[in-house]
Amino acid sequence: MNSPLDLLRARGVSRRDFMKLCAAVTAAMGLPAAMEPEVAKAVEAGIKKPAVIWLEGQDCAGCSESTIATLNPSAAEVVLDMLSLRYHETIMAGTGDVARKAFEDTVKEGKYVLVVEGSIPKENDKFCVIGGKPFRQHVEEAAKNAAVILAIGSCAAYGGIPGATPSKGVGVGEIVKDKPIINLPSCPVKPSRLIGTIVYYLTFKKAPELDNVGRPKAFYSNNIHENCPRRGQFESGHFLNDWNDPQQADWCLLLKGCKGPKTFADCGQVWWNDNVNYCINAGSPCAGCSQPEFYKEFSPLYKKQEMFSLPGVGQVNPDTVGKIVAGATAVGIAAHLGGSAVSGRLGNDHKSKEVSK
Amino acid sequence: MGQRIIVDPLTRIEGHLKIEVEVENGVVKDAWSTGSMFRGLETLLVKRDPRDATYVTERVCGVCAGSHGTASSFALDQAFGAKVPTGGRLLRNLILGAMWLHDHPLHFYHLSALDYIDVMKVAEYKGNDPGLLAVKDKIVKLATAGDTAPLTPRYQPDEFSVTDPELVTTAVAHYIKALEMQAKAKKMSAIFAGKQPHQSSIVVGGVTVFPKVEAIATFASMLEEQISFIENVYVKDVLTFGTGPLLKLAQLGVGAGHGHYMTYGGFPIDDKGTTFFKSGVIFDNDFAHVQKLDASKIYEDVKHSWYKSASHLHPSKGETEADTSKDAYSFIKSPRYDGKPMEVGPLARMLVEGNETLMGLVKQYNIKPGAVARHAARAIETVKLANEMRLWVEQLKEELGKGIRIHDTDHWEPPTTGEGAGLTEAPRGALGHWISVKDGLTANYQMVVPSTWNFGPRDDKEVRGPIEQALIGTPVPDVNNPINVARVVRSYDPCISCAVHLIDPTSNEIRKFQIG
Repeated sequence: MNSPLDLLRARGVSRRDFMKLCAAVTAAMGLPAAMEPEVAKAVEAGIKKPAVIWLEGQDCAGCSESTIATLNPSAAEVVLDMLSLRYHETIMAGTGDVARKAFEDTVKEGKYVLVVEGSIPKENDKFCVIGGKPFRQHVEEAAKNAAVILAIGSCAAYGGIPGATPSKGVGVGEIVKDKPIINLPSCPVKPSRLIGTIVYYLTFKKAPELDNVGRPKAFYSNNIHENCPRRGQFESGHFLNDWNDPQQADWCLLLKGCKGPKTFADCGQVWWNDNVNYCINAGSPCAGCSQPEFYKEFSPLYKKQEMFSLPGVGQVNPDTVGKIVAGATAVGIAAHLGGSAVSGRLGNDHKSKEVSK
Repeated sequence: MGQRIIVDPLTRIEGHLKIEVEVENGVVKDAWSTGSMFRGLETLLVKRDPRDATYVTERVCGVCAGSHGTASSFALDQAFGAKVPTGGRLLRNLILGAMWLHDHPLHFYHLSALDYIDVMKVAEYKGNDPGLLAVKDKIVKLATAGDTAPLTPRYQPDEFSVTDPELVTTAVAHYIKALEMQAKAKKMSAIFAGKQPHQSSIVVGGVTVFPKVEAIATFASMLEEQISFIENVYVKDVLTFGTGPLLKLAQLGVGAGHGHYMTYGGFPIDDKGTTFFKSGVIFDNDFAHVQKLDASKIYEDVKHSWYKSASHLHPSKGETEADTSKDAYSFIKSPRYDGKPMEVGPLARMLVEGNETLMGLVKQYNIKPGAVARHAARAIETVKLANEMRLWVEQLKEELGKGIRIHDTDHWEPPTTGEGAGLTEAPRGALGHWISVKDGLTANYQMVVPSTWNFGPRDDKEVRGPIEQALIGTPVPDVNNPINVARVVRSYDPCISCAVHLIDPTSNEIRKFQIG
């Protein structure tokens, strides 16, 4: 029997790489750095590559594409060293019968990580059929023997965009009721959240702490608006109106429909694509893609918001922001109210007007 | 009497595809393709703020990310009366171009190569190259540990498989290198796009990102790294394979279709609408006579699709009302141009522009259009595009110097009424979005995507769709190992979740075919 470290070396992973990965995971999960050795010990003890079944339902392969957009750790490390990817339609070598058998064999073996990408059409099973079998049935069968279930991306977590179509796409939690589901919403899934969650699970053999909509708190506790780099501009009442104006380039995007005040995610802290950028930094309003309300309740995405909800304050219009923001902070703007806004309106006799430069 | 083979799910493509072929005497006699997933994104857009369309249709596909957002923004620009400023045009091109640089090598190495190489031959590598020895070491160790997923299980290698240990080991090394490069290409796109896949920067009227000098510099240096990989690794590999171990497959023209090709043209290079990839039409492999595209000649037949609507409708008047009581076998419609089924994609683009590199190879090696030629065309156009992007970066710097404009803010609010067509090229081929706006809301939205053209069923005149035709004659010596079927289908780089409009809830019965 090989020792865990032999197995690690056998896979061509150096001790140094391994420690780097452990440090990254420890940080990503919000654990103190002092816990790194413990993480390393736990990972070493359970070092066998976990079998993974990755199902795609009503999806666009965007979450798969996003996962392999990871650069640290690299996509090759994830696909070849970290996971034993037994079934993944977009990546696996096998096709047709060969693919179907790989799925069945892995289910029989049991104790795998089940990753679901894409929603399940609640309106009718026949809206998503793979290998002659409804996707819903694939999910149910695979869920039975899974060690842990991850619903990745907005579609698999809550229905996402297909949830707003006649197919009535729903998340895994609506189909699998007898097991806990870890939701990792956003469109697409963010690789650091997915990889961090898998490694956390392998390390501690349990799900990370989840919020009331099944998301790991480590990644989904920050309100986008409260933590926005443009927050200062918001407080000064600087709202972007014209994308051509360099002076407005980093102004608040609320007038362009930004759903930041209603959205919780770590986008502002850990940017996308190897930390290179994220929507708001690119001048695009947050669409709220990590929320259960996305897309149906957040549409229209770009319409000018005459009034918007501010956590801890309630409805305000852009005109009043500059005046009330100091008071608002006192009321508890930074008080992490879990997205629930205090009802009521402030300054309802103020007319919203566009901010001119 | 033929034998029927069903390949379902056909993996390593985007979306869910079932391919059914009838094999007689070791070759494919007839073929049918079926997509099996419905989301209904077009329906979702109706009666909503038209600006949502760029965001929602971007999510049609996570592989050709950026393409649908772009096509949609073109359609909306027209409907809104927006004039995209030069800076906005250049940034859209760079965001999208970077995604093409990610897409084509990914298709070759990660979606297709496993059909052509016998991965386990790595174990027999005898050379001294330290990089290749490391790859050998890695794969051998994975195998010793008893876990080579996702590289196995697979169809068995056949007579066309590449078995030379050095070639195979190099290919596997490049498979791993290409994984890194596709991630870097997405990162590069995200510099201007916010994130990838599913960028957020392309909106009606232009883009949302105000480019900073440092961002342009980072983009430019990352572009050089991509160009170096594309020229020294990707293209070289495709040519080594295509003119070496796969030459027989190339010369046989396995996977050739009807010989009709069409491009809409893509990547606007001036503010008058001239495009980098040209538009045009070729009939019957007559490459010397490229005809002008006339978009009014596009229509969709539905005789073999489960739809009630009339055949011969232009997409701007498209309807998608299902009817499963009729004798049909697909939910993909049959788009036709001037009555003909057209192949779209890289091969069409390179033939329409009469690309010298491709034509040279065709002549020198006596290669026929088919699966291998498609891979070659894809690689050749990647180099072409990557080099053009250098120029766009320079032009962007110039624009920045003279007070860049990136968005037509005067036309940001939806018009009361408007019509727009966005015709462009996605990596997989000609892509069209059509919108009509009434009372400031989307009244109708239709998409005819590359895989609708390539994977549609027979038309009203019983003429097969392009992939159905391309499969005819494909060698399948062993019905339990239809690896050539997979090779031909994948050479088109199918994107099926884009192509399927609707599956009717009342019946999704697979049609029972008459055999023999």
